[in-house]
Amino acid sequence: MTNSTNDLPQATEHRLEELEKGLFTSDLSVNEFLLIKEVGFHPVGFVMGSSIYHTGLQTRKWNQSQELTKLTEAMYNARELAMTRMEEEAAELGADGVVGVRLDVNYYEWGKDAAEFIAVGTAVKAEDGVSRLNQLGKPFTSDLSGQDFWTLRQTGYMPQGLVMGTCVYHIAHRGLGQTLGTTGQNVELPNFTQALYEARELAMTRMQDEATRLGASGIVGVRLEEKSHQWGSHTIEFLALGTAVTKTSEDITLVKPTTIISLDN
Amino acid sequence: MSAPSSSPRPSLKDEVRQALSAPSAPAGTTRAMTSDLSIDEELNLHSIGWEPVELVSGVSLHSIPYGYWNWGQGEIVGASSAHATAFANATARMLREAGTAGGHGVVGVHIERAIHPTHVEISLVGTAVRPVDSTRRLERSVFASDLSARDFTMLMIAGWEPLGLASGASFVFAPRRSMSSTIQQQSQNIELTNFTEAMYSAREAAMQRMQEVAIEMNGTGVVDVKVQEGPMSFASHAVGFVALGTVVRLATPTHQLIHPTMVVSLNDSSPAFDAQTLS
Repeated sequence: MTNSTNDLPQATEHRLEELEKGLFTSDLSVNEFLLIKEVGFHPVGFVMGSSIYHTGLQTRKWNQSQELTKLTEAMYNARELAMTRMEEEAAELGADGVVGVRLDVNYYEWGKDAAEFIAVGTAVKAEDGVSRLNQLGKPFTSDLSGQDFWTLRQTGYMPQGLVMGTCVYHIAHRGLGQTLGTTGQNVELPNFTQALYEARELAMTRMQDEATRLGASGIVGVRLEEKSHQWGSHTIEFLALGTAVTKTSEDITLVKPTTIISLDN
Repeated sequence: MSAPSSSPRPSLKDEVRQALSAPSAPAGTTRAMTSDLSIDEELNLHSIGWEPVELVSGVSLHSIPYGYWNWGQGEIVGASSAHATAFANATARMLREAGTAGGHGVVGVHIERAIHPTHVEISLVGTAVRPVDSTRRLERSVFASDLSARDFTMLMIAGWEPLGLASGASFVFAPRRSMSSTIQQQSQNIELTNFTEAMYSAREAAMQRMQEVAIEMNGTGVVDVKVQEGPMSFASHAVGFVALGTVVRLATPTHQLIHPTMVVSLNDSSPAFDAQTLS
């Protein structure tokens, strides 16, 4: 296989070779598996990528709102490493894409600031043999579940890639004077509001930039996550995640959904 | 009142004997069955002509020799093999119980795993099932699956059949960083390649073992793979990776499409966006 093009360990190559012989593994549930088959894809393998990463330090000013570029960079780099390794595994399997991608960050007791960034998903391949690689010639990635993937395909859209934008932001503390001045009043706290706005906008813009690079016509299933990780209460990571999609030229007749009232809770 | 009639009271011994022999009654006889399936699941099973037979279980505890978790390099062979043996034994016991009860397979297997410093504990509980009209003995071995009865039904409708549970586990020592490199890297953004490599080797070995079990069963795939990973709670310098799934095979010549209907539930949905507060 193409050993020179990726940095996957030997053991991975061996496992993937076994998968190429026809066995497939997948973390899809039975329902998801059947729905993926329904839209003409076959799972080829459970793919993963991970990176254990040490985030650097950055000094923050107590009373100043600012983006912590070094931390932002670390969150980006580590996720990219995990995602790229997962994509490499999928490419090695000859897959057209990866569905049900989950990105996770785990903190272990190995040292402060060290975290595992992990990306897992199920690589799928089109059964009609027509390539569904994205514009960059890589397997598409998507965090849509099997059910969502089926529904998306009914509308004639095709996922292009999992896009994300992140921004680690330090939100200034309020000075003693400010705190005392507003005691007993109904008042907006403009510094907090502004800082949260700016951080969210930065994350969203970065996600949109990634989608533009993929030539996508939209992003579906966007989630905005706000996490403090281990940086204390005033430093927050804003992470925007979604699946970039494009419209295919397929002739689609939209199904009119049946409305139901489920009798269970 | 007259004295009790002379007909002998049923003796306790006989009762016990009868209860014990019940599971081995030939398939097709009518008797009470036990199962942990819900009503829905049981209806699902009946819709494809299967029925529950008996609640079956299998347990195995396997020791890990003392000292295996101490400082070392590479894979912790004792722990990995203990997990594999315990899992195989528990499965075999459950299948034997299912086989004697006349089941053709076990669905909805609930798996409890615990890894202690000195032993691995695996316990499995599931419901043995069989086709309603089956009076004949089974020609192939009894299967086990952690898929729910509903999932099992869907799988059968689509023309697939479960073959068994596949599991793979691997425990590997994660090398510690030297004091000097820890200090050097304090302020840097950097990947900790030695940890990444340890994680990878545990993961690959575990996935590989799971795949080998699947190939041995002549399966064409493993669905619903669940993975658990991370450092052991009692030994943070050791990382473990466990993968578990149900091996499946196409039972009919081709995959049967299920043609789902699109529905919109009119029930209220839950809010999707929840911004966290600054605390």
